[in-house]
Amino acid sequence: MSESLLEVRGLDVHYGDAQALWSVDLTVGPGETVAVVGPNGAGKSTLVNAIAGLQPTTAGEILVAGTDVSRLVPHRVCASGVAIVPEGRRVFAQMTVADNLALGAYRPAARREHRATLARVQALFPRLAERAGQLAGSLSGGEQQMVAIGRALMARPTLLLLDEPSLGLAPVVVDEVYAAIAAIAESGVSVLVVEQDVPRALAVSQRAYLLSEGRVATTGTPAELTDSAEVRRTVLGL
Amino acid sequence: MRRYGGFGLAFLILAAVGLWGRDAGVPGFVVPLGITALFWIAQATSWNLLSGFSGYFSFGQAAYVGTGAYAVAVLTGRHGVSLVWSVPAGAALSGLLALAIGAVAFRLRSLRGEIFALLTLAVPFILAAVASINRTIDGGQGTTIPLPSVPGWIDGFPQLLFVLDAAVAIGALAVAAAVQHGRLGWGLTAIRDAEDVAEGIGVGTLAYKMWAILLSGLIGGLSGALYALQIGFVTVEGVFGLTIPLLVIVMSVLGGRTHWLGPAIGALLIVTLQDRLAASGYTDWNPIVLGAVLAVLVVVAPDGLYGRMRARPWAVIGALVVPIVAGYYIPYGDLQNWVLAGMLLAALVAVVPARWLPARLLRPPRPEPVPAVDRPAPPEPGPPGETVVECRSVARYYGGVHALEDVSLTVAGGELVGLVGPNGSGKTTLVNLLSGTVRPSRGTIAVAGQDTARLAPHRIAHAGVARTYQIPRPFDSMTVRDNVAMAGMFGRRRLPLAQARAEAGAHLETVSLDRLAGAYPGSLNLHQRQLLEMARAVASEPRVLLLDEAMAGLNPAEIDEAVEVIRRISAAGVTIVLVEHLLRVLNQLATRLVVLDRGRVLADGEPQAVLADPAVVRAYLGRQTRV
Amino acid sequence: MTIAQAALTGALIGGLYALMATGLSVTWGVLRVINLAHFAMILLGAYLTYQLATSTGLDPILTVLITGPVLFMVGAAVQWAYDRLHVAEFTSLLVSFGLLIIAIQAVTLIWSADFLRMPGDINPYATESWTVGRFVFPVTTVLAFGLALVLVAALHLVLRRTFAGRGMRAIAQDRAVAAAFGVDHQRLSLVLGGVAGASAAAAGMVFALTNALSPTAAYEWFGIVFAVVILGGIGQVVGTFAAGVAVGVVSAVVSAAWSPATAPIVLFSAIVLALVLRPQGLFTLRSVVGAGR
Repeated sequence: MSESLLEVRGLDVHYGDAQALWSVDLTVGPGETVAVVGPNGAGKSTLVNAIAGLQPTTAGEILVAGTDVSRLVPHRVCASGVAIVPEGRRVFAQMTVADNLALGAYRPAARREHRATLARVQALFPRLAERAGQLAGSLSGGEQQMVAIGRALMARPTLLLLDEPSLGLAPVVVDEVYAAIAAIAESGVSVLVVEQDVPRALAVSQRAYLLSEGRVATTGTPAELTDSAEVRRTVLGL
Repeated sequence: MRRYGGFGLAFLILAAVGLWGRDAGVPGFVVPLGITALFWIAQATSWNLLSGFSGYFSFGQAAYVGTGAYAVAVLTGRHGVSLVWSVPAGAALSGLLALAIGAVAFRLRSLRGEIFALLTLAVPFILAAVASINRTIDGGQGTTIPLPSVPGWIDGFPQLLFVLDAAVAIGALAVAAAVQHGRLGWGLTAIRDAEDVAEGIGVGTLAYKMWAILLSGLIGGLSGALYALQIGFVTVEGVFGLTIPLLVIVMSVLGGRTHWLGPAIGALLIVTLQDRLAASGYTDWNPIVLGAVLAVLVVVAPDGLYGRMRARPWAVIGALVVPIVAGYYIPYGDLQNWVLAGMLLAALVAVVPARWLPARLLRPPRPEPVPAVDRPAPPEPGPPGETVVECRSVARYYGGVHALEDVSLTVAGGELVGLVGPNGSGKTTLVNLLSGTVRPSRGTIAVAGQDTARLAPHRIAHAGVARTYQIPRPFDSMTVRDNVAMAGMFGRRRLPLAQARAEAGAHLETVSLDRLAGAYPGSLNLHQRQLLEMARAVASEPRVLLLDEAMAGLNPAEIDEAVEVIRRISAAGVTIVLVEHLLRVLNQLATRLVVLDRGRVLADGEPQAVLADPAVVRAYLGRQTRV
Repeated sequence: MTIAQAALTGALIGGLYALMATGLSVTWGVLRVINLAHFAMILLGAYLTYQLATSTGLDPILTVLITGPVLFMVGAAVQWAYDRLHVAEFTSLLVSFGLLIIAIQAVTLIWSADFLRMPGDINPYATESWTVGRFVFPVTTVLAFGLALVLVAALHLVLRRTFAGRGMRAIAQDRAVAAAFGVDHQRLSLVLGGVAGASAAAAGMVFALTNALSPTAAYEWFGIVFAVVILGGIGQVVGTFAAGVAVGVVSAVVSAAWSPATAPIVLFSAIVLALVLRPQGLFTLRSVVGAGR
């Protein structure tokens, strides 16, 4: 039953009286990388925020390794092994890079090994070691993205959630970011990446979901979805 | 002037009671208690003019009282100047002080509500210190005010003071009523609900706040000058102490801060309560009761009594009058106790849940009269081709993030320009720059020929820029119609309220919201609130309308409706900049597309051409897309 | 008194100001609560010190071992109430003002409005001082300075170096994301409220050593404490300490050179200037202005 690391069943989310997600089903297997693509307003961020505990849900279940996290208080969700890289980075601007990373390891299971994890994160993003003492808000967009990803890795997650990692970044920087994501996936962490940049997302994932207007429109392998007319139509709105 | 006749009448009645009441059998406690009550009514109303209406809580009411009182103390008490001069001097000085406070506090970039509160808290301390050191003012000893001579036909000084206090108090209430119903009141309410939005539709927020604080200072000082006569011996602790700000805040929060009558209701209740506590020997409990009332009220019923009383007027009046009349005839206990009992009962009746009261006593609120719909004159469309907006090499940085870099853009009259780009490309930042919400880090922006980079947002609004917000931000305490009317009142055309309201009806029709005109924004769903945003933006008859992701979160049917609305607006000749990511919408509407990518302009031209541009497709679908 | 001596004594008294202000500043900066009841806790700390010393003969300085834990719990309880009732930002100012009024009146009812001072045999510290060279160091001011240093150092270390401290700084900036990484803001706010209460106990104890107590003393602290909080940067621990010392020095020097009542004027002008020119506080080392989303 719990072969999936993440299982979302019949998820409904409302903002006040407006419904943002309609009975969404989604799974991520252990060690799998799954992409969620779709146009703006489709509910991708809502979905990811709900899984991380940042967004309350109205109905349905979110099972992480068998535990339903949708009913948990926000600060208990990460204990299940979920870590998020939020949309727009949302680093702690008035804290140093080092403090941002350390905060990532706040939960007890991660705290015990935070030095070792820090070494791995710095190996992945050498620039973070250089800028350790700088205030995170003074970094460029790309560097802030690395801080945000590093922070999530410090939590030693089994499931890493990335919300639009390419947002507002130069292509060269996005290359770096996605190379890191690929490396992370290779280390055995399950990854759920939400993206506007469809080819990038499909290139790193084994499966993908197309979300449109709060519902899952279609799902399949990258091969099936690349060049899909439906994807192009939905995302471009043409 | 007609509607203020009631105030004149109220004053005449009070004056009569004060001067000849004793002969007519009015109980003896009325004049002394009345003097106190009228003083506090004036003070609470003065406080509420700024703090209740605009939301800028002042903790410094004592500064006005002290200034007024010391003007009288020094001029009349020490130098024998006639009260005819010293009382107005006190008011004038207090007004100047208020302006000084406002000039400093309202211009601070870092001003938050708490900082304003603390700054105003500090002012009485400073003044008290100045008065204590300075021998010509006080020097620490206090000053006696000699009793002025009273004309023969008045029984005694208290009666004269009662009449003077009544004049000031009624005057204060009249001013507050005039403010509330006039432009100033509407502007202050908008400031309280959403100050930057208010600034954006054309409310000159700095000027309005200064007017409010000036009026507050004048009234507070005038009443404070009379207070010197009331207490007879003016000391620093007596007039600059913290009791005064505490009491006015409690009174206004208790009575209700959004209506001119609220503070007076709170004042009457608290003064009576205090009087009875003192009379029964429970003076020690006074501060505890007040502190508890404040702490509990702020959490439980932040809106105060007035609104709830208005909803069930007969029940409240009955609860008030019955005990008083009973007390008059039943010879048990002081009459004041019965008065207090009546007030408390009325307050209780006002706040209990409706189902506890018999239905007969609950009258539904009178529905607002619906003004006739007035078709506004069609706007003069600018000569087509005239440049309405011009940006040159505009940049905006946030810390290390370059939100916009080297953006140059021109929009001509009558165009419907679509502004598109992936998330994070800088679309909303550009809209913020155009509307003046933020300033460019570099570059120039001109609207209708005027350089806007240095203008306050409300002047940019007067130049003809109107915008909607991605997350709708209506003025929650006003009806839908009034939200729209605000733009007419404070926008470019500066219409009087009645006309703005009438035209608002027409604008609501354009966006198909007319049947919800009398509702409050809280009861609208997201789609309706977005339509309200649009109606409000259009109501100011702007030269250029900025629509920021007006379709966010809408379903396809609602999107089609919104597209229709925008089409109608554009057909009326309004220049529109439409920030959108739904390309199908832009296809239907835009005459031109500007594509932003990572803060720079990627493409600018005819929609078909731009959408076919491989670079644009790649920016949207990703760099590796095979085009 | 020479200017130099005034400056020195002022700097030491600045320790007391910092001791009073730090708790308020940290809860304001981290929890966004302006807790005027903090002044009530200082007042209670002072009166409890007086009561315990005079009733039981306990050394007044040692009373803090009792008042500290008691006020820790009071501070935590008040913070818990604020959280339960969703009181924050502006409402906290009003609600805590109400609580302050109640507390002051309660103190008046219990101890009367008369000035109370610990007699010399119970409180030998009031008049003791050390002389080094031509400078006199009153013992109580040295104690205040020392306690403030300890408090500031401890808080600084906790905030900078421990996970809990980082968690506190994170919730001040982005509570939701901090929660996503496991930071339980309710628990942290209880601890912080408690620490503020304990620091108030220490401040009250020091105040009771040198001054006569009266219930309205709480109002007299407002001006100085808010000056220190704003000049030091809201939530900046080291900055608050530096501001406390600076305010102490300036007040003492101005009082010696002109007159005691001029000091508030100087302070107020300083606050206004600071808010206009450097809103993040005079002593804040670094901050990113205009950053964030």
